[in-house]
Amino acid sequence: MLALRLIRGARPTAQLRRLLVALAAGGVGFLLLGALGYALDHPGDPGPALVRLLWCLIPLAAVVQLAVAVARRDPGAEQRAGLDAAGLGPAGLVRLAAVSTAVSMLLGSALALLVFLHLRGDVTGMPFDGSAGDGLAARRDLPVPATLTLLLLPPTAAVVATARALRAGPPAAGADGGRRRQGVPVTLPWGAALVATGLTVEGYAARDLPAGAGPSEGMVTGVLAGWLLIAAGLVLAGPAVTELAGRLLTAWRPGAVRLLAGRVLLADAGRLGGPVGVLTAVAWSALTAALLYGAELLGPFTVLGALVVVGCSVGTVWVTAGRGREERVATSDGLRDLGASVGLLRRAAALRVAVPALLLLPLVLAVARLATLPLAG
Amino acid sequence: MSAKVAPPDNDVLWARGLDRAHRGSPALAGVSIAVRDGEILVVAGARGSGKTTLLRCLSGRLRPDAGEVWFNSLPLHVLAPRARDRLRRDRFGWVGSTPELVPELTAWENAALPLLLSGVSGRAARRTALEWLERLDVGDHAAKRPAALLQSERQRVAIARSLVHQPTVLFADEPTAPLHRHERTAVLRTLTTAARTHGITVVLTAQEPLGLPRPAGTPAPADRRSPEIPDADRFLTLVDGRLTAGGSRSAGPRDTAPCSLSA
Repeated sequence: MLALRLIRGARPTAQLRRLLVALAAGGVGFLLLGALGYALDHPGDPGPALVRLLWCLIPLAAVVQLAVAVARRDPGAEQRAGLDAAGLGPAGLVRLAAVSTAVSMLLGSALALLVFLHLRGDVTGMPFDGSAGDGLAARRDLPVPATLTLLLLPPTAAVVATARALRAGPPAAGADGGRRRQGVPVTLPWGAALVATGLTVEGYAARDLPAGAGPSEGMVTGVLAGWLLIAAGLVLAGPAVTELAGRLLTAWRPGAVRLLAGRVLLADAGRLGGPVGVLTAVAWSALTAALLYGAELLGPFTVLGALVVVGCSVGTVWVTAGRGREERVATSDGLRDLGASVGLLRRAAALRVAVPALLLLPLVLAVARLATLPLAG
Repeated sequence: MSAKVAPPDNDVLWARGLDRAHRGSPALAGVSIAVRDGEILVVAGARGSGKTTLLRCLSGRLRPDAGEVWFNSLPLHVLAPRARDRLRRDRFGWVGSTPELVPELTAWENAALPLLLSGVSGRAARRTALEWLERLDVGDHAAKRPAALLQSERQRVAIARSLVHQPTVLFADEPTAPLHRHERTAVLRTLTTAARTHGITVVLTAQEPLGLPRPAGTPAPADRRSPEIPDADRFLTLVDGRLTAGGSRSAGPRDTAPCSLSA
């Protein structure tokens, strides 16, 4: 009950984060139900339905990542101190986070079910003259156990991941910079190796394909495996690039702005690097798919899936960066005491965004160009 | 104090009728104060008596809800934010009751921050910062990050940071709060000596040990006397956001009524 009270009284930004999680969960739930609908429409042919279900794993992973990031952010430091003083221990905080995640995710699932049923015409009759029901098995009965299983899958995954993540350790304790980056530079060679391997695998798999193959012929297992390797490599490159940006910023006699921007990036590379890497991989996949197939891929489910994945990865970076900002409130306050202007702090924050982005943009463009080469013919 | 327009010549900092709320609760009520050039002024008070708010108003960090603050001939209470930030950066120093160092920067970078903020070259800033760290006995830790230092060492770095640009006025908000008792005197002496040698005016707050009610007839414990600040020129006491009569250590012609009690 306490969790519900806390949710009710939370600040608008916290509500916005939870709303984001709920919307993303709704998107994933609808995608899963869409796969179910396809399967019901094609009972004799389980292969493509299974592929659709497997594709749903990517948005599912994205939404779980976002849910964990949001759970780590709330309750904030101030609220945490209050709950701690009231006698709520670490286990209690994990329980709170799990309940709050479950509420957002279940809300999303319910939303997905409602929209799905509405489009199928189960609630108020067929909307849009029945055209929306195509592909949703509108004329068949919905199997209740399968529907419930699919709808409970995202909340369960998110709650388990949240509990595991929060129990693994107190989230980044202390503004004392006690968290030193560990093994961040190691990820760069691994990332590069994975990207190179992925490009090779993709090129090998694509050698027999006709030039200019569409998505149906082009997406063979080998090509997809190559893409997965490339995406994994880009995820691994995230922390390394973030750290590199920090190093570049603090090189060559930095002034106050560059020093503040760069050192914070260096200290945050371990935590922020992961979400940044995921965002890079997502941007790369979207670009590659758009370059190769363009409008051929556009469809209600692909657009929804892409929206969920992009929204979740941007949201995760936003939420994680917000956590760092909250931890630095005291430091920023101290800097203001020294007479650092608000403008200076903003410039440092802008540099922290701009420099990694400038480093990652050419990387994404180059890898996307390389990845499209074997398939473009 | 009658309606005076400009501060006397030897008052470097001067405030009149300061009102200020802290998170909605009144913190300062009609405080008037005059700080003379080169003096070490101690504002004593219990927790919550408004010491920090007063210091923040005087240093231009907070804008008073009512009243005036003048630095030399500059009206801080109406100065544009940018000009105020620049003035605070160049002319004021600040030590808080916690070190508030930037955790990502090393000790010397933290100490050099005021210089770097005003655009001094890295090399010159580093040299000056190292000198000050040496003076405060933390020169050996210059390359360490705050997390690797003891709290008392961090506070010494914070004091070095407040003096490194040789401010006109140094605001020290309970600077010895994080230190153990045996270190307090030494650190305070370093601070006041530095201020005296460089002609820096110091406004310092100290916790006044009002303490718990004690049985009648028992003397106050030795360590609970009024704050032991060796070099202070003047003491003022802040009670519930109002200044009350202060004493002075060094006899001077104007010491009898150094600050008004106007509301």
